[in-house]
Amino acid sequence: MRTFLYCLKTAVKNLGREKWINILTVLTIAVGLMILGAFILITLNLDSTIKQWSRGFGLVVYLKDDISANEENLMNEFFTKDSDIIEIKYISKALALKELQQTSGPMNSILEGFKENPLPASFELKLKVEALDPIRIKLKASQIRQLSGVDDVQYGEKWLSSLNTMTKGIKIITAVLGSIIFVAVAFATYSTIKILFYRRAEEIETLKLLGATRSFIRLPFLLEGIFVGTCGGIISISGLLAVYYFTTSKIIDFLPSLKGMIMFFPPEMYPVAPLAGAVMSLVGSFLAVGKIRY
Amino acid sequence: MIQLSNVSKYYDNEAVLKDISFFVDKGDLIYITGPSGAGKTTLLKLIYRAERPDEGSIHVAGWDVGELKQSTIPYLRRNIGVVFQDFKLLFNRNVFDNVALALRIHGLHPDEIKETVNEVLKDIGLRHKAHEFPQHLSGGEQQRVVIARAMVSKPTVLLADEPTGNLDPDTAQIIIKLFKEINARGTTVVIATHHSDLFDNTGRRVIHLKGGELIRESIG
Ligand SMILES: Nc1ncnc2c1ncn2[C@@H]1O[C@H](COP(=O)(O)OP(=O)(O)OP(=O)(O)O)[C@@H](O)[C@H]1O
Ligand SMILES: [Mg+2]
Repeated sequence: MRTFLYCLKTAVKNLGREKWINILTVLTIAVGLMILGAFILITLNLDSTIKQWSRGFGLVVYLKDDISANEENLMNEFFTKDSDIIEIKYISKALALKELQQTSGPMNSILEGFKENPLPASFELKLKVEALDPIRIKLKASQIRQLSGVDDVQYGEKWLSSLNTMTKGIKIITAVLGSIIFVAVAFATYSTIKILFYRRAEEIETLKLLGATRSFIRLPFLLEGIFVGTCGGIISISGLLAVYYFTTSKIIDFLPSLKGMIMFFPPEMYPVAPLAGAVMSLVGSFLAVGKIRY
Repeated sequence: MIQLSNVSKYYDNEAVLKDISFFVDKGDLIYITGPSGAGKTTLLKLIYRAERPDEGSIHVAGWDVGELKQSTIPYLRRNIGVVFQDFKLLFNRNVFDNVALALRIHGLHPDEIKETVNEVLKDIGLRHKAHEFPQHLSGGEQQRVVIARAMVSKPTVLLADEPTGNLDPDTAQIIIKLFKEINARGTTVVIATHHSDLFDNTGRRVIHLKGGELIRESIG
């Protein structure tokens, strides 16, 4: 404990003595984490937008013209029992025609050419967001297709899978960028600590000869790394917050409808930035100090 | 206290020490002498495990030095004080902090450190220079601080390599007197030097090295 305090003191002294190089490292880390943070934010916002869109996503079950009332009831019951389905809307032949007439305008004359209503009755089903997985939906559609009285099942297959690929893509990019930034931050600290380590080579030799343990020699450098990383993290989250408020206020000037749509991290996530900085820097300084041999 | 058994050391297949065996009793003060390149420094380095013997074994205060794991080397070194030519004071801290460093490494309480360091500084007659920086001290004063640093943790063994190297004869005598005092308190002292006037007529054991071989032992 006392040794820890002494190491802490040494770290603080060294930080003061090598002010500029440490400030530079802090800023490098801050910029790195800010880029990462911004990217995560974009991902988060895109993801929530996509989720928002998918809320309107559904399956349309077209019914055969000769379906019996009993079959319809059974089907309705089947849909009600399925917990993935959150909304069931029945659209009769008459309703379908009316909707079409309302939307098609001048094409109405074509419809009038039919003696009978050509449109089928249907069920429109809305699914919960978690169920919007291409494979899962495909399975569900084929299940429904087997029910008696069903003519066809349609859903935006292509759209759904491309949406899915996009979400996955963004996640992969974020993960890759995250690793790159991790390495970059660790490297920034690594090179700084390496320089400081060499600058104090004589002191370290002295410590070794006086019987300092490896952790005693290492600890000040690790603490320095942690401190630098934490500072970088704090600056990055503050900077990001500032940039967020600045840009959103600008965007809202142009597009008032976006008000309240663009999210920032929730406050309880703020400490993640200094924590991430500290961990990345710690890794860097650990590698910089390397193996200590007597 | 120190036991060397058939120790050999090679640098680039060149034997620097050949089959050296000797024993130093607890509380002894001995000299190692020989011409330049004889292997004196190398011998001391083996004792505090800055180098490893290629053959033979070395025991210091119960430790099998050659076989120590890296993680236990610091604990061996806490029992060995070193006064070396290239083991200088740190110029970014004052005399007090230079000496105190040895105790901080051991994790002593600050009050205890203060008391012990001031006592040792008084012993070497530099109590009044505690807050000076090493670059403001004379060579002899610096060397006394180095000795204080080596002594402050009360090691069982003290190794000195050419401790009077660049000092005038009077200052050299002060340094030697310090070693004798330290030895009188029970510390085993080994001094490597090629200045025979340091050990002539002292009645102490002198080990003579030449070309890496122990050629003879005499009484000074
Ligand atoms: N690290 C090393 N690598 C290679 N050779 C070395 C190394 N250290 C010492 N030597 C060689 O080992 C021999 C003994 O060196 P050592 O320093 O022990 O001699 P010494 O007796 O202390 O000499 P001096 O009185 O000049 O200090 C010398 O020939 C030297 O060149
Ligand atoms: Mg030498």
